[in-house]
Amino acid sequence: MIINNKYLFLLLVISQCTIYSQTDWVRWEKSDPMYQTNNRYLEREYDLSIQSTSDIIIKPVVNTYWFFISDVDGDNCPFNPSCSSFFAQSINETNLFQATLMFFDRFTRDTNAFGRPEHYPRFGRNHFYDPVSLYTLDEKKINYIPAKTYVKE
Amino acid sequence: MMFSLYCSIIFIASITFSQTIDFQSPQNIKLFADFLFCDKDYLRAIDEYEKYLTMVDDDSVRFKIAIGFSNMGDQYNAYQKLSLTKESSPFYEQSKIEMLKSLYLLNIDSSFYSSAEILINSESVYSNNAFRLKNTSLLLTDNELPEQKIFLIPFHNDEEYTLSNFYDLKKNPHYKSEIWAGVLSTIIPGSGKIYTGNYGDGITAFILTGLFGYLAYTNFKHDHQARAWIFTAVGAGFYLGNIYGSVVSAQIFNAKINFDFGEGVKFYLEEKNYFVPVYDFCK
Repeated sequence: MIINNKYLFLLLVISQCTIYSQTDWVRWEKSDPMYQTNNRYLEREYDLSIQSTSDIIIKPVVNTYWFFISDVDGDNCPFNPSCSSFFAQSINETNLFQATLMFFDRFTRDTNAFGRPEHYPRFGRNHFYDPVSLYTLDEKKINYIPAKTYVKE
Repeated sequence: MMFSLYCSIIFIASITFSQTIDFQSPQNIKLFADFLFCDKDYLRAIDEYEKYLTMVDDDSVRFKIAIGFSNMGDQYNAYQKLSLTKESSPFYEQSKIEMLKSLYLLNIDSSFYSSAEILINSESVYSNNAFRLKNTSLLLTDNELPEQKIFLIPFHNDEEYTLSNFYDLKKNPHYKSEIWAGVLSTIIPGSGKIYTGNYGDGITAFILTGLFGYLAYTNFKHDHQARAWIFTAVGAGFYLGNIYGSVVSAQIFNAKINFDFGEGVKFYLEEKNYFVPVYDFCK
């Protein structure tokens, strides 16, 4: 033999290691992870456009409430949409009088801290889903979702 | 020297005993497809069956492809494949009831009911299955139900109890009256919510209305007019909002009743495999 068996084996091992060595370096590159979670309060769409008569009173009130109270106070409403957004959406869906009644009813439900998990579907980890469509008195719009169902993971 | 000999033996042995199985023979393709089918890997099983059908004409494989699509929830393709079943096929009868199941799951009511009627009135061994599927599906529509005795005709004794329960619930659902909920909350704030089963909300509404009512009363009594009117407005808001909320609460309660009923019937149909036969392809 020209080459010793031991060297041949060693040569094979080295060549194998070189040929089949890991090539996907991308996986091991340095990364810059973001540890901040998205805050939907910061994504709020402030809107002062007047589309109906009630908007003249309601929109400034809602925007002022969002800017000075809600955004400063933080994400404390247990529901999605939040009570102020619920009120704004209620006006769009119905009228000022009905929306006010819907808001007072929502506020009552917001005050009651008991039995929420057994009553509402979940919206993410920290909120319960309670859309306006359930409360417009239009039975066709009621899309019942059972409690504990995740509307959004 | 020994090393070279060892290498030579390995080299020769690997050539001599190398694999000679023809994986692409029709029998092996079918065996593999059957394995995938029984492993519930229907998508890949269908691919293999399709490959097999290019070589061999086989009615049972055609039927299995349709069942594969059906089991995957692709009722459209299942229906298309089943509709190609020839009258001479041993699976012709089964394909009819399977087509009916696909039509039901595709939510094509007009085709479903006309096909069901044809199958019920035919000489098919599955006409009773079609009758049962049609009657159960009627529970999920707004159509008028036939009389209970007529409705229960196609069902077996063990099914009658469940179906008569469903029938009763459909005829007399345990709804809550929206008007009564509103009236109750008008008399005693929160009682309408309690009537619809929302005890926490009912008690909260009672406390909030009572609290603001009391605050308004004491402020009027002590002649704090501005504060008194603010508390009156808020208290009135809670009072009226609760009456409104109680009516809505009854609507949501009724929607829940409908939802639970529908889910119950759907679950029953699933459990009964939509009254189609169970095939022992994997035994």
